[in-house]
Amino acid sequence: MSNTSRKIIIDPVTRVEGHGRVTVQLDEQGKVGDARFHIVEFRGFERFIQGHPYWEASLLVQRLCGICPVSHHLAAAKAIDQVYGVDPKDLHPTATKIRRLLHYAQVFQSHALHFFYLASPDLLFGLNAPVEKRFIGAVALEHEDLARKGIQMRQFGQELIKALAGKKIHGICAIPGGVHKTFYPEERDYFLDGSGKPSVDTMIEWSREIVDFIKAYHDKNFKWLDSFASYPSGHLGLVAGDGALELYDGRMRAIDSGGEITLNDVHGDNYLKYFGEGVEKWSYMKFPFLRQLGRQEGWNRVGPLARLNVCERISTPLADAELREFKAYTNGRPNHHTMHSHWARLIELLHCAELMRELLNDPGILDDVDRAKVNRRPEGIGIIEAPRGTLIHHYQVDEKGSITKCNLIVSTTQNNEAMNRAVQWVAQNVLDQQQEITEGMLNQVEVAIRAFDPCLSCATHAMGKMPLQLTVFDAAGKVVAEYAKGST
Amino acid sequence: MANRHDLEPEILLVGIGNSGRSDDGLGWAFLDRIQEEAAFDGQVEYRYQLQVEDAALISAVKHVIFVDSYSGELPDGFQLARCEPLRERPFTTHVLPPGVVLSLCRDLYGRAPRADTLLIQGTCWDLGIGMSPAAERRLENALRFFESHWRGIR
Repeated sequence: MSNTSRKIIIDPVTRVEGHGRVTVQLDEQGKVGDARFHIVEFRGFERFIQGHPYWEASLLVQRLCGICPVSHHLAAAKAIDQVYGVDPKDLHPTATKIRRLLHYAQVFQSHALHFFYLASPDLLFGLNAPVEKRFIGAVALEHEDLARKGIQMRQFGQELIKALAGKKIHGICAIPGGVHKTFYPEERDYFLDGSGKPSVDTMIEWSREIVDFIKAYHDKNFKWLDSFASYPSGHLGLVAGDGALELYDGRMRAIDSGGEITLNDVHGDNYLKYFGEGVEKWSYMKFPFLRQLGRQEGWNRVGPLARLNVCERISTPLADAELREFKAYTNGRPNHHTMHSHWARLIELLHCAELMRELLNDPGILDDVDRAKVNRRPEGIGIIEAPRGTLIHHYQVDEKGSITKCNLIVSTTQNNEAMNRAVQWVAQNVLDQQQEITEGMLNQVEVAIRAFDPCLSCATHAMGKMPLQLTVFDAAGKVVAEYAKGST
Repeated sequence: MANRHDLEPEILLVGIGNSGRSDDGLGWAFLDRIQEEAAFDGQVEYRYQLQVEDAALISAVKHVIFVDSYSGELPDGFQLARCEPLRERPFTTHVLPPGVVLSLCRDLYGRAPRADTLLIQGTCWDLGIGMSPAAERRLENALRFFESHWRGIR
């Protein structure tokens, strides 16, 4: 081992879509000094949306992401509804149902992608599996049934999105005060009858199977699942009026690590009163926190694990039964096991499948939609539970209808401190004082991040042009190792 | 009596790219043009990137051609080449090479269609709608070539 301090950089983080970077600073004895998770892309959406007419917001900001554009589309639409002069309760019931169905399809396909494509190799092949095994292609070879079902579940969600929004990615469903198109019986029947593809009933059946899979996996592997990157934290999510899990439109609830409520079902319009955002010079991403608790104590996790921690029940029966079992494992106390995020994610997958069936069988979803009358306001705030967590869109417009200010607090940002803590856990418990840092050890850093988020942001590249690479170098700036796309 | 479509090869064109990134839109522009000119009446799909579920899509056809922009040099400005299954671990599942999708298709569905890539050379990748003049010329050449090629295989 070198007698100088070393810095290890994982850049980029693979199987976490987008561009993140991890640095671990080791001292002369190989002991971890610090570990940080950096977001090094700057997107600038909050700035360049300024000057655009308000009705463009939900179309433009969804371009933030190719995996969960629907979440941005709907969060923006909810905010723009308010600018248009329509509160959620005043939106036409069918418009609300169509938007909800779109959202549940989005969460369903995104959770399927997150678990089957990105996380399952870690569980099926182990943390130290060879690099070539850490890919859905290896899952396809050795667990063909699981891979095929995962692909078909994601397809189901995407095709439902296409039926409602015109395209699988970056479609148009919501418009200010309404929806772009109604839902036709033949479109609806395609997802119910199972003649052209597996039906929504099959989606529920397969969702139950995968929840059973993760529970059986946990039974055999609870030692590492319960310990890996586990640390106490606060949790934040939306809940319905009865305390049920709410993904589309609810009140914000936060609890501390002991389960005490720190944010008591507040309306999203007041989010600035409750939340501040810290800034660090080493990351473009901000660090949200509850003002009353401060920057150091007031950060929260968001996403599936947090949502199941803050809610009291789930509105659909199968997922609710799973929630009770999930909560019983920690005796009703908050669950801080980071790897249980996948368990929570699959319970939500089942919940969304049940919700999709409810709405597809609701005759009211085929009704015509009367668009609300415009009654302009200068400001709108939309909050939604995106697949990875609580997402806030806030817009201000001038008298001409041009956007003058935009503030986006995305799920990844909400989880910024939590992901940094997870990286620090791995650094201190896996990398600390190791004579040799193996590739498998480095992968564990990514496993921790992947439990929260497989999606940092995205960009399009032509064949032959992918400028991402992974570099390891020492404190003197000497490159120790370099990895590029497609290499090992 | 069989109709005309029954007699045609089941061919799928997948255009890959982003029309908001200048010449990265070559794949989509190729699909737009070939449909406008009624030079192709098979199935077309537009993609920002290929993804895992595209393995299921191509499993249902006999022949797939992936059309994409290319940032390197191509002698004629475009190139049609056979695509072989590629069993490699890609950097990210967000951007899968056609060969990996082909390999996934074979592993998951027990078969893979004949596959080709049609690459068209681009030079400008800036944000913006519309392609560079050089890319427009190469697109024209690729279209004329493909029309002739398509007549030969249908």
